[in-house]
Amino acid sequence: MFSRIGYALRETWASFRRNLTLTAAAVLTSAVSLLLVGTTFLIQRAFENLLVQWRGDVEMIVFVRSDASAEQVTLVDSVLRASPTIIDVDKLRYLNKAESYEEAKRIFAGDPVTLSLLTPENIPTQFKVVPITDDPLLVRSLSDQYRTLPGVEAVALAEDEFQVISTLSNFIRVVTLVMSLVLLVVAIGLIWNTIRTAMFARRREIEVMKLVGATNWFIRIPFMLEGLLQGLLGGVVSCGGLWILNSAWTNGVAGFKPGTGISSLIVPNSYLTSVMLILLAIGALVGAVGSAIAATRFLDV
Amino acid sequence: MIRLENVTKIYGTETVAVRDASFDIPKSQFVFLVGPSGSGKSTLLRLINRQEQPERGDVWVAGRNINELPASRVPYLRRNMGNVFQDYKLLLNKTVFENVAFALEVIGKPRHVVERQVPMVLDLVGLADKQERFPEQLSGGEQQRVSIARAFVNRPLIMLADEPTGNLDPTTSEGIMSLLDEINQTGTTVVMATHDHRVVNAMRRRVIQLDRGVIVRDQERGVYE
Repeated sequence: MFSRIGYALRETWASFRRNLTLTAAAVLTSAVSLLLVGTTFLIQRAFENLLVQWRGDVEMIVFVRSDASAEQVTLVDSVLRASPTIIDVDKLRYLNKAESYEEAKRIFAGDPVTLSLLTPENIPTQFKVVPITDDPLLVRSLSDQYRTLPGVEAVALAEDEFQVISTLSNFIRVVTLVMSLVLLVVAIGLIWNTIRTAMFARRREIEVMKLVGATNWFIRIPFMLEGLLQGLLGGVVSCGGLWILNSAWTNGVAGFKPGTGISSLIVPNSYLTSVMLILLAIGALVGAVGSAIAATRFLDV
Repeated sequence: MIRLENVTKIYGTETVAVRDASFDIPKSQFVFLVGPSGSGKSTLLRLINRQEQPERGDVWVAGRNINELPASRVPYLRRNMGNVFQDYKLLLNKTVFENVAFALEVIGKPRHVVERQVPMVLDLVGLADKQERFPEQLSGGEQQRVSIARAFVNRPLIMLADEPTGNLDPTTSEGIMSLLDEINQTGTTVVMATHDHRVVNAMRRRVIQLDRGVIVRDQERGVYE
């Protein structure tokens, strides 16, 4: 058993060195494509931070002053419910101080200065409003009306704030996902080609192995290991790249003035780590798929 | 040991390589397959080790119909067969010892078996003193001895030899034939395809003659004609 494992590892390593240029091409391609996948994840997460208060089709937020009385809150609530043709009253949601503070922690994760000014006591509470109507003018005229209600601190409209960002984020997501998918397919192709070349270089050995009765798996495994290793190496390189990118981004964003909203584009390290693990897994998968196709297809030499 | 029943092998759509061939080779027999190039000798050998499968008919080896064998069992069938070729098929980047050891290593034999069996079989073929040479440092006859050693190291039931003397001069061929004879004496069934008259006529063993894929003669103690 040990001699078999030893054999597989020796052969994998020997083949790796023999095809250095092809291997480098395959590794780099998978690294670049995985880096794109990782970047997509991070950009997505950054925009999500920015958009977290607008989740679930929320188009309008009515902020109520932290010192407003319970009667004032009830009044705002009943006024909102008075326009059921414009507002979806079923989806109307009220966030109390604790809930609003939780949300703020996420929004201002990269902006500790702003966050430190907020406490669960002084934070405004909020009504999240989902409109039924498609007419933005109608929503806007309602919002002007709500601003004048007692206890209301401000009314924010998605249109004014994050509509552009949301559209932009969707666009970027589609573009980066498509690009990374294309590159992943290219990476599989390159690994497939490397393994095919490796098998062709050793076709005499494979022929002899088949004639003396080596099993197909015995012949295949070193090649599949080689492909897996290439994918995994690509994953490792992409993780390094992603880490550098994210550090640069975090440092760059830290230079912005606090409270501009840009600071919420910082991605927490725990998230970065899980993205890296995902990249390693995808890399290994890409390598395994590419080499498995080649090893099965070209065993008949 | 080997039995063919009405075997027909067609390449592509109309090239009939073997037509309705039947014969029975008992254990420890030595058989020549003779005939001109393209008469189907190699195809018969390839049918016996299941590199090919017939369009019609059955091939039996050691009591089993090998055409019904699932693909995953074919490697185990081949472990009972040694193969020798005209072009030796040695691995040029491996020494004599490594070439022979390779055949044991890739079927998962442990190191101590390899280290016992390989010198023994190299001694048998008369290359005990050339274990560390590379194939290109050997003569044609010596290379063929290495390939026979590789085919025999696992003590197969059957040896299949495809023109093993095809590239060798008469004196060297004699040496190879006496080696194959010696292997046959140990009880191994030997099937050898050849169009070397001298070899066949000198040995006087069973001869199966093919012409354009058809068996035209099957004779005990035959000559080439």
